[in-house]
Amino acid sequence: MEELINKLKAEIIEVLNLEDISPEDIEAESPLFGEGGLGLDSIDALELIVLLEKNYEIKIENPQDGKQIFFSIQSMADFITQQKVA
Amino acid sequence: MDVYIKGLGNISPQNTADNSQFLEEIVEYNQNNLQVIHPIYKDHISPIRLRRMSRMIKMGIAAASICLDDAGLTDPGAIITGTGFGCTGDTEKFLLAMIANAEQHLTPTAFMQSTHNTISGQIAIMLNCNNYNSTYVNRGTSFEAAFQDAMMLIEEGEANDALIGGFDECTDNHYIITSRLGYWKERDIKNTDLYTAGSKGSISGEGASFFAISKDSGNNSYAKIKAVSHFYKPDGFKDVEKRILSFLEANGHSPGSVDLVVNGLNGDEEGDRVYHQLMSGMLKNCTHTRYKHLCGEYDVSSAFALWLASKILKTQTVPKSVRVENAPEGQIKTVLVYNHFNFSYQGLFLLESC
Repeated sequence: MEELINKLKAEIIEVLNLEDISPEDIEAESPLFGEGGLGLDSIDALELIVLLEKNYEIKIENPQDGKQIFFSIQSMADFITQQKVA
Repeated sequence: MDVYIKGLGNISPQNTADNSQFLEEIVEYNQNNLQVIHPIYKDHISPIRLRRMSRMIKMGIAAASICLDDAGLTDPGAIITGTGFGCTGDTEKFLLAMIANAEQHLTPTAFMQSTHNTISGQIAIMLNCNNYNSTYVNRGTSFEAAFQDAMMLIEEGEANDALIGGFDECTDNHYIITSRLGYWKERDIKNTDLYTAGSKGSISGEGASFFAISKDSGNNSYAKIKAVSHFYKPDGFKDVEKRILSFLEANGHSPGSVDLVVNGLNGDEEGDRVYHQLMSGMLKNCTHTRYKHLCGEYDVSSAFALWLASKILKTQTVPKSVRVENAPEGQIKTVLVYNHFNFSYQGLFLLESC
């Protein structure tokens, strides 16, 4: 799980062009959107959906689940692990 | 109706982003692809906005921001831009991703930013400005069309002021493709040798130049714009000469009343012929300047020319690097900017000192 979390952090930094942020700066449990976290927005959400499809071959079937899946790096890693097991 | 240039913002292959400087030192290049000198973008754009912006967008937004600050303008009556190819880097990124991923997994950012009107739109969002917003994309006279639109809006009372910009970027792919079309010199030359290299083609360039204009002269205007005109595919040199004469006469001038001409000479033997004919003919008594060794050739390089003309009129200084021959004697009151892109796209600006 730790390896997957670190990989996700690096991918998000690259895809979202988060200059001046290193993987160590991102807490796995911190919210990705809104205040108190990375402060991502709706366009970033679309980028994350594409990231999951492209890098992990996972398609989010129900858009309603997005809020929970993309809450934090940890929740994304949990979802990826769960999908791979399934 | 006359309008006044109140602010400038110019990001180019020279040190032009700082309005307090005026080509005191020239940056020399030993390649045929001149690229802009980037300012510190964080000084002009918030880090949150900056992270998603591509190279061209950073250039455009920063140039617009410098211009607005220079003019003290926060809510322009119109935002109008002109570009030949728009945000080429983002277009390439999006198209290459389409090919690489078999039209799947396409991300939104590059697509959003690939459109030609991205920069005028992002300026409007940044300023929370809901006024008239438009982008012209008619290749080599896009900037002239944008300027003409702004002047008409002001003349018709639709706006009191406007922000106008011209921008284009040259990516590696763009340079390779246009090289195949014979646009650039085959061998690398020094940019300062552009006019003596004596061969076909020019050197490639890029830049983002913005202007804040107003119907009121105020105290700190750079110049008064009397008129702008553009035309497509003239019928040879005589036609160009006739159109320039008509343009001057329609605005109360004659070739004899023009003090200085900013010529679009680009080092291409064939394309430069028309400039040389004018310089030794109808406009022989004017002081002549040139600028494409500083910024290279691109669709909206006339925006760099207008920046140069505005600075000359305000400072009453003609930098040595742009002079064709000697410095002018006496005050510079009237400046004509004449540029053509591949002869097909022809543009004219007439400026007066304030």
